[in-house]
Amino acid sequence: MSKADTPKVLTGNLLRNGATVYYTGSGWSAHVAEAQVAATAAEAEELRKIGAAAYAANLVIDVNVVDVQPTAEHRPTHIREVIRATGPTVRPDLNKSMSPG
Amino acid sequence: MYIYDDFDHTIAKQRVAEFRDQVNRRIKGELTEEQFRPLRLMNGLYLQLHAYMLRIAVPYGTLSAAQMRKLAHIARVYDRGYGHFTTRQNIQYNWIKLEQVPDLMAELATVQLHGNQTSGNCVRNVTADHFSGVIDGEIEDPRIVSEAIRQWSTFHPEFSWLPRKFKIAVTGAEKDRAAVQWHDIGLHIVRDDAGEVGYAVYVGGGMGRIPVLATKVRGFLPKRELLSYLEAILRVYNRYGRRDNIHKARIKILVRDLGPEEFIRQVEEEWEASRHSGVNLPPEEEIRIARYFEPPAYEKIAVPVAAFEDAKKANRAFAQWISTNVHPHKTPGYAIVTISLKPIGGIPGDASAEQMEAVASLAERFSLAEIRVSHIQNLVLPHVRQADLFAVWQELGKIGFANANAGLVTDIIACPGLDYCSLANARSIPVAQRISERFADLDRQHKIGALQIKISGCINACGHHHAGHIGILGVDKAGQEFYQLTLGGAGDETASTGQLIGPGFSSDGIVDAVEKVIDAYLDLRQPNETFISAYRRVGPAPFKEKLYGVSR
Amino acid sequence: MASPVNQVGSNRVLDRNGPITDGWERLADDETVKPGAAVLVSFQRLKNEHNALFAEAAAVGVEVGGDVNLDELEPFLPRLGLIVVRFAFMRDGRPFSVGRLLRERFHYTRDLRAVGDFIPDQILFLLRCGFNSFEAGPDFSVDALKHGVAAYTVWYQRGVERNVTIAERRLGKENLGQESA
Ligand code: SF4
Repeated sequence: MSKADTPKVLTGNLLRNGATVYYTGSGWSAHVAEAQVAATAAEAEELRKIGAAAYAANLVIDVNVVDVQPTAEHRPTHIREVIRATGPTVRPDLNKSMSPG
Repeated sequence: MYIYDDFDHTIAKQRVAEFRDQVNRRIKGELTEEQFRPLRLMNGLYLQLHAYMLRIAVPYGTLSAAQMRKLAHIARVYDRGYGHFTTRQNIQYNWIKLEQVPDLMAELATVQLHGNQTSGNCVRNVTADHFSGVIDGEIEDPRIVSEAIRQWSTFHPEFSWLPRKFKIAVTGAEKDRAAVQWHDIGLHIVRDDAGEVGYAVYVGGGMGRIPVLATKVRGFLPKRELLSYLEAILRVYNRYGRRDNIHKARIKILVRDLGPEEFIRQVEEEWEASRHSGVNLPPEEEIRIARYFEPPAYEKIAVPVAAFEDAKKANRAFAQWISTNVHPHKTPGYAIVTISLKPIGGIPGDASAEQMEAVASLAERFSLAEIRVSHIQNLVLPHVRQADLFAVWQELGKIGFANANAGLVTDIIACPGLDYCSLANARSIPVAQRISERFADLDRQHKIGALQIKISGCINACGHHHAGHIGILGVDKAGQEFYQLTLGGAGDETASTGQLIGPGFSSDGIVDAVEKVIDAYLDLRQPNETFISAYRRVGPAPFKEKLYGVSR
Repeated sequence: MASPVNQVGSNRVLDRNGPITDGWERLADDETVKPGAAVLVSFQRLKNEHNALFAEAAAVGVEVGGDVNLDELEPFLPRLGLIVVRFAFMRDGRPFSVGRLLRERFHYTRDLRAVGDFIPDQILFLLRCGFNSFEAGPDFSVDALKHGVAAYTVWYQRGVERNVTIAERRLGKENLGQESA
């Protein structure tokens, strides 16, 4: 369950190719570490609006605002989102890192 | 195998063109996601955690070597080099791009493959016994009627927007390898007293949140009348099945709410009114389809085959593999080979493009270019000469598929779970891997004997945990992966629903719990008694005691 | 959202070829009938006021849901000029069965119309279940409709329309039914 005081990021999957992406403040990145973090409820609401607009513009689907830890990497708090951010745990060869480079 | 004629090809091509148009309209924004979603699902396309997932049907579990090569090609060109064989005779690809799907579909259509109705609230791809046509004692090859059902259910004008998904399975032998009682409609091919072939019809089976074994609605339905009877069932369901609650929308709930007698009365009444409206297959058409499933030209082989018998005696590992992975074929001198996709510590049901191609080559060399896909997430070479078994076994060893564990404790069914699936509560595959590693010792596996472990990552039960001798269900407990254990389920002709044995286990604890259950069984079993027989004899008490101690 | 081309806009009644002019007037249950009008009423009103309706209106149509009790509707069928079946939501599959039953079992022959949030891709299936006209939402695309009704040219099953199945064609029985264009 999402808690109001937990930092949050906006995520979704690109309509055209299905890739899991995070909203960076100006665009979308494959890496959760590059996501723009909402620290307050008002900022989270702002992210939700951006997500709804991107959905309506047929850019992303399955749009969600999810909890992350207050670290540089923005590691998601829930295991589901950790797996979304990195890839299937049973195929480490196919995983991506949370940060670019 | 069934070969498409011009009509079948026309439909397949028109489907690809239709979906290409729909994808274009979606990308241009002419279709909203809400509108597009059911359309893509009916083409087998889901959105999962990491990407789109595409589910391709293997109609009634039969694949040609050429089709397998195409599946390998798809894995390599459109995905990340592998695919996952599922519990419903499908293959899934995990890294699909929406924009590429129309081209992918067009490639598949050239070899009679498609994703039609592998998802969505429609009649799903019909499944059948993976030993169809090669097993002794079969009344009729169930693939004949399965192909007729495939055609009838494809883009059905009336039944493409049902309350919920609708699964049909067919079995033609006494032993039920298709789990017919776990399906929305299960057909068991039988003979009546006069020797006429027909069907015992089961309706309303299903897993999910509320596991229900099907009700037998007819002991004997004449073969010729099948399609009109299916239409009657579907029409009652389409009109009166619930559409207000997704968890109560399967036909099993309609059967339960009406009561089996009233449900049967409504179906029979509908059937009486519509059975002569020309829905049934013309007899000539049935004969035409049946011709494609006539037995291939087998060689006349004198048995016993000395080379085979000698190899068994000379090589214990080979003999062990024969004992679990090779079934008697109805033709003397031949055998049915189960290729286990369950290497120790591997991902159940996964195969790389290279492995798929190797299996295709083996099928070409040794199995009349035919392969089967089983709901246990294994592959089958249905027509292997006994004299070739040793070579097949050796070749399988080269690709890691010579595991002598078919039907044993490490032949685990596992759904994709939280590693891939957006609906999952917990991971399934790592649990399967750890159980597999725990029981890696083949002698120990053979000592334990026949045992089915089935794992689902959520209550949707794609891993058939309700039907597992040992069933494992992943749940989310305060953000942690947690696993419930059920015992006593079965999917065969003695179908039963597994019962929850007690409080669940952490991810670390679940493997120990499984081992304790198996130890308890080994302690109490009688000579030659399988796990499921023992469980049915003694009930849950000794297992509970072992798991939770006497005080409970 | 990108704007779909060629939307129906306010002219929302179509047949398989596109928008048509439609003379039916939808009446709320408390609206009076203008004498000589072709009126479309709810099933409840039809049941309550059928004598007056059939006497005053030039033609009477009824709107029903997918859950309609067809036995209750049956006595009125010979005098109805239009039956409208409402999709409760896009994935509502009941109208398909209702259409087929009205045509095949109750032998209703006049205008049969679907209304609701269906999409162009469903029209061909509705035609096959006996519907001949459609009242669509404002952003329904006429181009997609034209595309959609031409998506398939052969069928495995019997339907109300295009009654020759592939199995029959295979037997060379193309002339068993009447295929419409
Ligand atoms: S059982 Fe649940 S987790 Fe597993 S594949 Fe099905 S929906 Fe996904």
